[in-house]
Amino acid sequence: MPREAEPSLSERTFTLQAISEGLRLDSRKLDQFRPLELSFGDEYGVADVKLGKTRVLAKVSAEVTVPFSDRPFDGIFQITSELGPMVAPSFEVNRPTETEILLARLLEKTIRRSGALDTESLCLIAGQKCWSVRVDLHILSADGNLIDSSCLAVVAALRHFRRPDTSIEGETLTIYTAAEREPVPLSWLHSPFCTTFDFFGEDGEIVLVDTTWLEEQLRVGSVTFSLNKHGEICQISKLGGKPVEATLIIQCAQMALAKSKEFTDLVDARLAEDAKRRDKGGLMAELSAENER
Amino acid sequence: MASPTAELSHLPKTDGSANFAYGGYTITAAVNGPVEAQRRDENPFEALVDVNVRPAAGVGGTGERQLEAILQPALRHLIPVRNFPRCVIQVTLQVMETPENAYVNPKVMQPRLNLGIIPALLHAAILGLLTAAVPMKTVASATCLVITDADGSSVKVDPTPAEIDQARSVHVLGFTAGRDLLLAESEGSFSADEWATVLQTAEKVCCRSQEAGGDAEMGGYGAESENVQQFMRSVLEAKAAEGLHWR
Repeated sequence: MPREAEPSLSERTFTLQAISEGLRLDSRKLDQFRPLELSFGDEYGVADVKLGKTRVLAKVSAEVTVPFSDRPFDGIFQITSELGPMVAPSFEVNRPTETEILLARLLEKTIRRSGALDTESLCLIAGQKCWSVRVDLHILSADGNLIDSSCLAVVAALRHFRRPDTSIEGETLTIYTAAEREPVPLSWLHSPFCTTFDFFGEDGEIVLVDTTWLEEQLRVGSVTFSLNKHGEICQISKLGGKPVEATLIIQCAQMALAKSKEFTDLVDARLAEDAKRRDKGGLMAELSAENER
Repeated sequence: MASPTAELSHLPKTDGSANFAYGGYTITAAVNGPVEAQRRDENPFEALVDVNVRPAAGVGGTGERQLEAILQPALRHLIPVRNFPRCVIQVTLQVMETPENAYVNPKVMQPRLNLGIIPALLHAAILGLLTAAVPMKTVASATCLVITDADGSSVKVDPTPAEIDQARSVHVLGFTAGRDLLLAESEGSFSADEWATVLQTAEKVCCRSQEAGGDAEMGGYGAESENVQQFMRSVLEAKAAEGLHWR
């Protein structure tokens, strides 16, 4: 497959010169995100995130399986992402690129290992039956800042998802279909969000957020913060690049916290809108068999 | 059933892309091509049509490979492959949504043939190819039909997943704009006579628009199903008009 074209010398000089003067090609401020759109599908657990030309769709599905023998009390939770020729012809099917592996690992650290989803609540019968929750991340188009948009899509989809209701009487497990009982939400503990900062300039002193693909190719370094609205940091990753001043990192962390609160508000607002849309005739409260946490 | 909807060229980095939704199925197609083929799959005489179906949930398995094997020859017949030696035309079909059945809990891994999705996949692929400006000999449309009762007298067009589950046999037939049979896949038990009825019905459903006043003679079946070829023509006309707006 053809290789992706690198930015030309004139493109590179022009963009870097503009950034050093505090200007961006799409006339945004240095610390400004592109317009972010989040929408949910007709099914439960489908979230579509559009960030400029970047578009990511996350779909959650659940089924009952046997838990891992070394963790009999835990359910299974996995996130998979795949970049294919839909993103650009240079991505091949079944041959993961570095971007893809880094994305998968970052999402794993942010969402799975930070304990955002209570996996113990997915256990049905210890050692025998548990829910296996799986998030499929479909990247439809990538124009920079894939990490932030993917993380937002996954968190939003998981919070939107409803799994079939179950009941256990003695040894028999009953799984109810959507027609029998209203599906129940997952036990969600906190919502971490990623914010990526990209460094430009000689010593990496210029900080940009939400870079486009062109800017991403020209950066000298980047750092990704994952934290929830309470300021609890899940992970910070700075993979190579130029070394950056410690004070700058602390400033970035402050900005990441503000951004995380913004994302939380956005997801909450969209979820409330969607719940209203689904709640035709106000019967949802009666249909639900779930207890308050 | 709701009428089909489509969105064209909505992905910025691919040569052509389309989003097609009908009957609960939503498919996004991305087409790249003709691009240079890799050494291992280059053919010195014709272009390779590479179809890649991705499921909405889970990784693609044998079911998806079979769908690819059905769609690939159909698309190969539509594209003049001999005009593009040593090239590859990449068609990626991403399943976004499938119709839900409230009475059955969904299973992620289902290694079985899902015939109901083939029309949507084919229509999305054709819209994608058209927006990518890949030359084509003709366009095509397909339809899914089921025989429900024992005597084979009633044929239902565009069945729901529940109807497919209960049907005696399921058929998918595709026709080109020139009324030639492009693809025919069947599952279940049926007689040759029943298949002939299915063929006739499918031809009427797919090629309805070409005969003037065809709707009047249609009678029962097909009246509820949209004519997809006409729909594709109208969305592309709208897109072309929008593109030439500056004139």
